Amino acid sequence: MNDWWWVSTVAFGIGLGTPLVFATIGEIITERAGILNLGVQGTMLVGAVSGFWATFNSGSLILGVLVAILAGAAVSIIHAFLSITLRVSQIVSGLALTLFGTGLASFLGKVGSEPLVGEPSLVTFGAIFEDGIADWPLIGPIVLGHDLLVYVGVLTAAAASYYLFRTKLGLSLRAVGEDPASAEAAGINVSHVRYVHVLIGGALSGLGGAYFALKIVPTWQDDPIGAAGWIAIALVILASWRPWRALFVAYAFGFAQFLELRLQTLGEPWSSIPSTLLAMIPFALAIIAMIVVASGKRARLLGAPAALAVPYFREQR
Amino acid sequence: MTSRRFIVEPRGLASMRLLLLVPMASVLAALILGAIFLTLTGESPWDVYKKMVDAAFGDGRGISETLISATPLILTGLAAAVAFKMLVWNIGAEGQFLLGAIFAAGVGIWLGDGAPAAIAVPLIIIAGAVGGAFFAGLSAVPRVYLVTNEIITTLMLNFIALSFMNYLIFGSNSPWRDQAVSTFPQGRPIPEAGRLPEFFNRLDYGIFVAVALAIVAYVLIDKSRWGFEVRVVGDSANTARYAGITVPRKILGVFLLSGALAGLAGSLFVAGTVGALDPRSLDLGLGFTGIIVAALARLHPLAVVPVAVLMGALNNAGPSLQSIGVPPETVTMLQGAILVFAVAGEFFIANRIRRPEHEAVPGTTSTEVPA
Repeated sequence: MNDWWWVSTVAFGIGLGTPLVFATIGEIITERAGILNLGVQGTMLVGAVSGFWATFNSGSLILGVLVAILAGAAVSIIHAFLSITLRVSQIVSGLALTLFGTGLASFLGKVGSEPLVGEPSLVTFGAIFEDGIADWPLIGPIVLGHDLLVYVGVLTAAAASYYLFRTKLGLSLRAVGEDPASAEAAGINVSHVRYVHVLIGGALSGLGGAYFALKIVPTWQDDPIGAAGWIAIALVILASWRPWRALFVAYAFGFAQFLELRLQTLGEPWSSIPSTLLAMIPFALAIIAMIVVASGKRARLLGAPAALAVPYFREQR
Repeated sequence: MTSRRFIVEPRGLASMRLLLLVPMASVLAALILGAIFLTLTGESPWDVYKKMVDAAFGDGRGISETLISATPLILTGLAAAVAFKMLVWNIGAEGQFLLGAIFAAGVGIWLGDGAPAAIAVPLIIIAGAVGGAFFAGLSAVPRVYLVTNEIITTLMLNFIALSFMNYLIFGSNSPWRDQAVSTFPQGRPIPEAGRLPEFFNRLDYGIFVAVALAIVAYVLIDKSRWGFEVRVVGDSANTARYAGITVPRKILGVFLLSGALAGLAGSLFVAGTVGALDPRSLDLGLGFTGIIVAALARLHPLAVVPVAVLMGALNNAGPSLQSIGVPPETVTMLQGAILVFAVAGEFFIANRIRRPEHEAVPGTTSTEVPA
């Protein structure tokens, strides 16, 4: 057994956690505006298929990422319109987006004379530093051995944290999520702010989906992202609506998922644990953590926006 | 807010005509959107839709398969309708369905060949309800006593149920696994006595159980005292509290009922066409499709039945599209679009939109929609 197996497990965990970083931070930004978007899973899938398609046809990873970001924002308009303009239940509206996005992504992956399904991506994201550097002990694989988007993920956490807590726009965003009526009285256009941040959340989810299709599973298949979109929604709570914490809970979740695969290669007694049982552990931990840290009033203390999932009726102020 | 192009105001009670028109319009709008996507990708929408109608309703076999697909959807639809009506966001019908199937198959296998049908069938069906209610309880108890967000817990439990089923069939030599087949793991069949008889092609009596439960749910929610109190809680928990209704117990009851209904879908699956806990034949996504059914039925238990037949027809039509080179996922996309439009339709049922003729009287609840 390699003594350093856990170093590579941590490194892979960071990679597996990166799409969750994008989706979780996106959902944090959306929820901070008071909108719960259960459409993350569908949005990520649309981002994955459109990003894969764009890279497949252009050979450009950057173009793929940009198309995924735009597609993620575009489908999120569905949720924004239903929940902000029409003020229907955000829960049902988000689920509608997920169902539509899931179907649309599978449809787009299979339709046409040359369907994408089964096709490998021509290019994928690779490590940005040269081999020599990535071979440094400890720091090499864990800190320096990653591809561009992993570092973009860290920057996204930094930028989102700065935006939410250090800028005037971030303050008005949080005001809208806490108390939309007061925010409006202070001259903030509540609908406008909510629209913008649902779209930003969708864009980041789309980016997270593209990371799956262009790095983690670089061959188009029907369900490249597993349950990542759903997991991101749970991680928002475990990250207590804070971007930096999102980075770490997402990495921890990625680590847990990779550990599950890794245990199979470690020999007895580890490899005799059925992987189907191990697959439950991250979800069970998420539920237990939810019950312990986010029940009742504790959710508010953690940072849950007071107006989350409450439609805003201007006339009922 | 000087120039308003439209005035939106709450409508009191919507007319029956509107209540029927809006869901139909949502289906039509989804078909039009689907036609646009199909045309853009080089397929003929007419051929695709014709194929779908043929596959779902074209002959006796098609109709029976459609009703087979509709049976579990009636129950997952009821599960969502009952819960959502009371603002209990149980989106774990998927997991409760699987647990229902696991319990039902477990009881069937445990009973063995000796039990007569008159005992085996009811026990298997009830076991599914218990399994579903138990699994819903894992979210319901923290929801009621600790105020833990049930959306997340029910969602996470879906994945746990799926892994657990995979463990029983693929990961272990559990009693649920068919030991006689060594090539590919599959579920062990329950005894014949535990199966619901088929009467029209492959269609079994499960469809009648499902329809009967829809009627029971309707009476329970719309006609009983318990249902009245539940509706009061759904409209306003505070009103309910002042009226002396014990709100937590009502929420717990509704949550468990919702889980039991989803679990019953699992037991009808096991006692019906599949006859075993078999991961390959267990249709995944029934829980989520149930939410579409409930939304399109506007949470009305009786309306769930025809809507479930429509969704069952779509599910059943999907695979047939492969023969004309169109992905079966076209159907999933259409179902998602139907839900999007049905949800949007809620707005038009709840509100009236009109052109301003005179300036609205101050103090009325009109709002302006920026156009």
